[in-house]
Amino acid sequence: MADSVGDLSYRGYFGNTLSERGRWLVVAKQSWKTAFKKRGFWVASSFGAWYFIVLAAILYFVEQSVTMDPTGNGAERFYSQMVWKDQFLIGFTFAQLMCLVLVLIVGAGSIANDNRTNALLVYLSKPVSKLDYLFGKWMGVLVPLVVGLGLPLAFFYTYCLMNFRERGFLEQDPWLGPKLIAVVLFAAAYHSTLILGVSSLFNSGRVAGGAYAAVTFVTGFFSQLMLAVFFQSPPESSRPGIVSSGALHYLSVDGLVVGMSKIVLGTDGGNAFTVARGSRQVPIPPAWMIFGLMALAIALAWAVASWRVKAVEVVK
Amino acid sequence: MVVTTSNLSVRYGAFTALQDVTCQIPEGCIGLLGPNGAGKTTLLKVLLGFIKPSSGTAAVLGVTLGSGERKIRQMLGYMPEQDCHIPGLSAVQFVAFAGELAGLPSGQALRRSHEVLEYCGLGEARYRLVESYSTGMKQRIKLAQALVHGPRLLLLDEPTNGLDPLGREEMLELVRSVSHEKGVSVIVSSHLLPDIERTCDEVVVVSGGRMRAQGLISDLKKIAGQPVDVELREPVEGFLAACSSRGLQLMGQEHARFRFQGLDRPDTTSRAVLESARASGAQVRRLVPAERSLEEAILEAVNG
Repeated sequence: MADSVGDLSYRGYFGNTLSERGRWLVVAKQSWKTAFKKRGFWVASSFGAWYFIVLAAILYFVEQSVTMDPTGNGAERFYSQMVWKDQFLIGFTFAQLMCLVLVLIVGAGSIANDNRTNALLVYLSKPVSKLDYLFGKWMGVLVPLVVGLGLPLAFFYTYCLMNFRERGFLEQDPWLGPKLIAVVLFAAAYHSTLILGVSSLFNSGRVAGGAYAAVTFVTGFFSQLMLAVFFQSPPESSRPGIVSSGALHYLSVDGLVVGMSKIVLGTDGGNAFTVARGSRQVPIPPAWMIFGLMALAIALAWAVASWRVKAVEVVK
Repeated sequence: MVVTTSNLSVRYGAFTALQDVTCQIPEGCIGLLGPNGAGKTTLLKVLLGFIKPSSGTAAVLGVTLGSGERKIRQMLGYMPEQDCHIPGLSAVQFVAFAGELAGLPSGQALRRSHEVLEYCGLGEARYRLVESYSTGMKQRIKLAQALVHGPRLLLLDEPTNGLDPLGREEMLELVRSVSHEKGVSVIVSSHLLPDIERTCDEVVVVSGGRMRAQGLISDLKKIAGQPVDVELREPVEGFLAACSSRGLQLMGQEHARFRFQGLDRPDTTSRAVLESARASGAQVRRLVPAERSLEEAILEAVNG
């Protein structure tokens, strides 16, 4: 209490204050601290790397077999069939489930938990604007997602760069590195905005996470249905339409991310290490469709979050 | 003046929350009084820039609303009525974070967080999660987060909400300490008259979205005509007659207590009472200017 000893402890603050422009960073840093402290975040990120770990192990054994085979023909044939960017695309596609887990861990409670505890009154009663808050929260989700999604890709890219430069790793696509960065950034930005929009609608992180997962699974089910329809249709349909083109397969939360990855990497993933060459793949979707839908989803989610974030009290 | 408003009105569709509120709030500890739904919290939210007024102007600490909400909030501390905290943080982390939000460098924010928590009586519990706090502790931490950046003006919305008698006493003591010993101007919004009377020197009365009265509590409690209250050791026959002969008009009597209408000046009234007592042989135990309770004053202001 404000007794004689306590009294000496409080006085006005006359020191310097930091620039108002950087207030979003304070909000973001708090979210980063919370996200990176969660064990589940690192576990999910590691699980997202399973394809690359298996692939790295196989490549290691193939490399070892070269020393046992003096002609080296087997290994040469193996590497001549290898399309490196397809490996990244397939690994990234397989990691979409873990991506969802990462998004839920990092972003589901970002605004919902603040709604629950009336924390917006704390944020917005300080010299922090709504834009600072939203941008800070967005960056607070984006950066951990970039780390969580990018680490497996960075691991495999570095592994290949160190071991397979002579096997045509860099020559095949010198821009693979920047393309992978773009894929991760686009995916993280898309998911961060969507989860912020969903999170702002609820007063509980768990409910917000459940809603996001539900939307992902429902749209994912639709996507799989469209995939089945695509494979049922004849390969060269006499009447090419939106269904037989496979474009509807991308109309899901993670389908858009997969479509975007195919566009940026410039491949349909048909030369997968685990898939026989020449097997039928869903073609690369039109860029305007994928980026248009992603932009629409982002704009909608941002508008929802912006509308919902208010300094109002939740009376329980 | 810490706050100046001129014809301030706030409307939510057809509902008018504030109508033509014009007031000048000086430095010190000011009570914002009024029944529930009077518009007190709306006024605070307008001052914070949360709500844009439909018409009228307001200035906080010399800064006009609409021209610098960030600057205003830099100089303000706000303690909301409802529980509020950042989930997952201990008290010291929460208050330090509030300091950083107000622009304090992280080292300074942490140092001041410890100081303010000590001042608010949470020194022992500073490493506990805020979620685990009792209602009284949550009230105090709301005050701590409002104080951490050293504001010039504190807005306290129902600071004793949900507190037990002891917690209420301690909170009021804290509020009084902040305003009277630390030089921070405080606006306390409450519908509890004893809380306001205990902590504030001046009040602004709001009801039905309109400002009904403003002034020093002592002035509001004064009764027109400057009557006096007299208490005798025991009732004495002839005292009333002596008073009457000196022009004192009896307004009320209860056993040995009397209230007389004042004469032209307070000292003339007192002299007349004392002379009447001497003439009738009565012993005067108390002679004070009569005043009404704050409740009576507020009711009169609210009901017109």
